[in-house]
Amino acid sequence: MPRYRMFYSKKGPARFNSHLDMVRTLERSMRRAGLPIAYSEGFNPHPRFSFAAPLPVGVEGLAEPFDVEMLEPVENNVIEEKLNAVLPDGIRVHGVATVPDNEPSLMSVLDRAKYIVHIDEEDLPFELPDSAVEDFLSLEHVEVLRKDKLRDIRPGILKIQKVQGDSGLTLNLELKAGSVINIRPEDALDALFKNAGIETDKEDFQITRTALST
Amino acid sequence: MSMDKKIEKALRRVQKPGRYAGGEWNAVRKDWVSTDLKMAFAFPDVYEVGMSHLGLQILYGLVNRRDDALMERVFAPWPDMEEQLRKMGLPLFSLESRRPLRDFDIVGFTLQYELSFTNILNMLDLGEIPLRSADRLAEEYPLVVAGGPCAFNPEPIAAFIDAFVIGEGEEAINDLLDTYHQWRMQGENKKQLLLRLAEIDGIYVPSLYEVQYNEKGEVKSITAKAGGVPAVVKKRAVDNLNAVFYPTRQIVPAIEAVHDRAMLEVQRGCTRGCRFCQAGVIYRPVREKDPETLLQQARETLACTGWGEISLTSLSTSDYSQVRPLIEELTKRHSADRINVSLPSLRVDAFSVDLAKEVQKVRRSSLTFAPEAGTQRLRDVINKGVTENDLMEAVTSAFRGGWQAIKLYFMIGLPTETGEDLEGIAKLARRVLERGREIVKSKGRLKVTVSVSSFVPKSHTVFQWEPQDSMEELRRKQEFLRRELRGRGLFFNWHDPEGSFLEAVLSRGDRRLCDAIEAAWRKGCRFDGWSEFFNLDRWLAAFDEVGIDPEKYAYRRYDYNDTLPWDHIGAGVNKKFLARDHRRAMAGEKTPDCRGGKCPGCGLCPSLEIKPRLAGGETIAPVQDVLQ
Repeated sequence: MPRYRMFYSKKGPARFNSHLDMVRTLERSMRRAGLPIAYSEGFNPHPRFSFAAPLPVGVEGLAEPFDVEMLEPVENNVIEEKLNAVLPDGIRVHGVATVPDNEPSLMSVLDRAKYIVHIDEEDLPFELPDSAVEDFLSLEHVEVLRKDKLRDIRPGILKIQKVQGDSGLTLNLELKAGSVINIRPEDALDALFKNAGIETDKEDFQITRTALST
Repeated sequence: MSMDKKIEKALRRVQKPGRYAGGEWNAVRKDWVSTDLKMAFAFPDVYEVGMSHLGLQILYGLVNRRDDALMERVFAPWPDMEEQLRKMGLPLFSLESRRPLRDFDIVGFTLQYELSFTNILNMLDLGEIPLRSADRLAEEYPLVVAGGPCAFNPEPIAAFIDAFVIGEGEEAINDLLDTYHQWRMQGENKKQLLLRLAEIDGIYVPSLYEVQYNEKGEVKSITAKAGGVPAVVKKRAVDNLNAVFYPTRQIVPAIEAVHDRAMLEVQRGCTRGCRFCQAGVIYRPVREKDPETLLQQARETLACTGWGEISLTSLSTSDYSQVRPLIEELTKRHSADRINVSLPSLRVDAFSVDLAKEVQKVRRSSLTFAPEAGTQRLRDVINKGVTENDLMEAVTSAFRGGWQAIKLYFMIGLPTETGEDLEGIAKLARRVLERGREIVKSKGRLKVTVSVSSFVPKSHTVFQWEPQDSMEELRRKQEFLRRELRGRGLFFNWHDPEGSFLEAVLSRGDRRLCDAIEAAWRKGCRFDGWSEFFNLDRWLAAFDEVGIDPEKYAYRRYDYNDTLPWDHIGAGVNKKFLARDHRRAMAGEKTPDCRGGKCPGCGLCPSLEIKPRLAGGETIAPVQDVLQ
């Protein structure tokens, strides 16, 4: 069966939907678009979708990949046009490609993610000094509490970089993602601020995942 | 900080922000400034519940297709969201334009169950609208209206609502908006608006009525205070459902709703005449839609929403005269698109199980039947036209068809109930289980669940005069059943009698209860229909504070001659008929369903100038003046 890889963005109100909500939304959208999606066999058939690392509730995504199988070939640009005509607010498809049969699954190849995180000026009691990022990245271990367990997330932090912006603070992050190691950007930033002695609230981080890569 | 920023901050801090985010497929966002009439549909429960409600989809579609009006949605905020709203000083806002509730011209609440009343007050308060109608006389405040089943006894919330719409909304909502528009063009004051509204058929303006009480503190009379205000407000009912607007562009919820599927209303009304059932009275007469209309609406709804499941909704779908051909045709037309057809409620008989077999290719879930009472005697008293034989045939067919789990719904505390009736529930359950053992191969999976709720007397029903059992009595009965229903394969569920007690108080209450409801809300009562939030002690303290004895409401037995607090609301069924049927109930006599062609003389059709309508074109000639 022909397989297609698309990249979608999830912004605005749609970013508050969970991954499962998103799967349902994509299925219904494809039905509205009249696309011949393929379903699994068995008692409880579900569409043959495959995703990479799920996007957490509240996080924007700019280029989230997913694969879908269809019963018959459809031209890539037709898929994109039909889908974009019926996707709800905040969700758009940007680019559709045909995937060869032997291509490995998204989950097995994508293991890093890039993020942009913005924090409003009023949510930052102090400005983050330029040296704070360097200090943080020079740490050998960064211990974070997750589900009552201490975990060293330092090996999963690949890059943190301050970006010049208008107001507030904007940072670029590159972190390990996927089924082996998955680092939450809010955990990495929370640790960065703690190390710098700045008190912030994780809930104020406005997070956008810009890309998933190998 | 801008309101938008604050909302974003709040949404990042709640468990399910999708409840308040909007932007769903088929949601309508019109230009706020250039649209004349702005109405909010306020559902006093959480998003997932409200989005499962067909009435919302109907009214939303109706208002938004008008050029001069818009309708936006607002749901009761979950406690975590309420905390954020209050902490940040944010008003409750609509999903579409994120406007505070106070900015709308009209706020319309739907009244689906009594235990949502405190949520109405909470939403008004969070929406920065004064709670009481009397404090909203300034024109800057929205008109607050309400409709739905609980509007048939509107008195317990009469002080909070400016106008109630009694009965079906399809036509009344346009009358309401047109009248509002004319009033505004005339530049009149709020009182004049209320007078204008009271002249519309089916609209009840409580402030225009005076209630008098006798020396015993019971309601003596309810009278209109002004000319042009009807003594009895008769419900609205649509004559031909084929010709009325039906929403095929249903909003598709972004987060999973309780009922997350396309809805196809096949008929309205149920004339079986179960004597405890309020819906059976207030949605009369029965009006079936034609199969051609339904097939067309099904096709459009599925195409416009992308849902993979369509539910044939009504009070009793297996009663729809064309149900089998409809299901066959729907399956034929849509099976290639992997559409599942679902049936919400099953009548207790083999025919209904056959329908379930037809639509449910995989026997995933259990089948549910509602015999309601444990003995034939009591089933006759409540006019539930079901025999033990019907039930056994139904479950036999279900077990043979591959189902391994059966759910049985019963009510306890019904009028005239005895120990024998309770034993009857346990006996029936055991018989069903035995039948299952004879048929089902994998005995380990065999499951018979008995679910028991407590009888709540409701306005406009044959049992409206009856008292509710005391909480102690109900608990004792539940305990008895719990002991009787032990054993492998048997399961027992029950509802808290505390919640049913409050429901009984509110469902037959008068307007003196308004103070108690407000006091309960001030003490923190919210989401009373949710067992994790319901707190009877808080309610009892509230009743105590305002000097009301709630037991007098729940446990009162009314006389046929007593003025009932809802006597000025006309559901169409003659009170004399209800009294006569009540006597028949006490004598264990059944009353036939008018679907069979024989009119029992409930008085509705002559009173509302309407007739039952079956899909084959048949109707039933009503008996005229049977009670004169």
